[in-house]
Amino acid sequence: MSSTPTSIIQVCRSCGGGSPVAAHFCQQCTKILTLGRHGDYFAFLGLPRTLTIAPALLEQQFRALSRQFHPDYFYNATPAERRASLERSSYLNDAFRTLKHPVQRIVYLLEIEGVLTPAERGGAVASATVPPDLLEEVFALNEELDEVRALKASGAPDAQWREKLQHAAAPIAAKRDAHARDLAALASAWDAVADRPADAPERRQVLQALRARVLERNYINNLLATIEREGLQVSGEAEA
Amino acid sequence: MAYSDKVIDHYEHPRNVGSLPKEDPNVGTGLVGAPECGDVMKLQVKVNPATGIIDDAKFKTFGCGSAIASSSLATEWLKGKTVDEALAIKNTAIVEELALPPVKIHCSVLAEDAIKAAISDYKKKQEATAGAHAAQKAQPTA
Repeated sequence: MSSTPTSIIQVCRSCGGGSPVAAHFCQQCTKILTLGRHGDYFAFLGLPRTLTIAPALLEQQFRALSRQFHPDYFYNATPAERRASLERSSYLNDAFRTLKHPVQRIVYLLEIEGVLTPAERGGAVASATVPPDLLEEVFALNEELDEVRALKASGAPDAQWREKLQHAAAPIAAKRDAHARDLAALASAWDAVADRPADAPERRQVLQALRARVLERNYINNLLATIEREGLQVSGEAEA
Repeated sequence: MAYSDKVIDHYEHPRNVGSLPKEDPNVGTGLVGAPECGDVMKLQVKVNPATGIIDDAKFKTFGCGSAIASSSLATEWLKGKTVDEALAIKNTAIVEELALPPVKIHCSVLAEDAIKAAISDYKKKQEATAGAHAAQKAQPTA
């Protein structure tokens, strides 16, 4: 895989021997390596940098490494090795948790590809990156929700405000579904170009499209949460 | 996190909530959003064509208390200012006035963005109408 650097060397603190960055144990003395220079989550788990990962494969890699790093096996080892086993176990858990979740996997990919900063992931981005028509929709929906609240406050019968809320929610639910389909299609598109050189235009293009979808996602989720707070479950795929 | 008294005051008694006619050539509309909290802010200015001074400003913000307070304060400050003075309003001044904590600074940035967007919309409209007038005037002599 071209994007996984294999030339970077980690140096074993026990014997001073070198190993590739993706190795977990020294290739010379077989001791566990201190977690210094390491690969990204994909490389760490021995997986290609693709967005389609078979859950069974991910689980299998996780379990195999988990056993190898488990602190119980280093009970009698040197303090450095005990520490290395803890660090690798902990990094492995983070990697597994992130890659297991399809959307978090995308967000992580965008971060390591350098097109999404942690601040942006949190949502602190300029509004210029939000498409204006989405803003219009968000605004319109919020106004409808205000009307629903006013109806509720005026003691209107449940059926009446529920109908209005349903009406307000429908376009957002449709948007959420379209968004999920878009993300899935882009994930496949990424897998087809992941191996190309880092500056290949088609590769950058997919990453930018994924980035735009990820930034929209906060809005959609927030709107759905608002609708649900008003008392309407917007059915859809469950997501953590 | 505790809000400052000023934020609470603007939140409980927002100034200038409402909207101005979007199609009015003297009205500029800015619609901006912050994905962080799903905030969306609409800010409008009405400029007196004779004096170039903003004589009305309205906002409607869906978001947290700080976002509402930031836009409410912005509309207060906008009234009586010229378009250029309005563009000089900085988010840092809003942060200072409302004593916003670091996690809420983006709310003030949003308000500054909204001002800029509204003014830019107004300028665009003015250029469009000026262009239309010029074209109309130019026609008979041409």
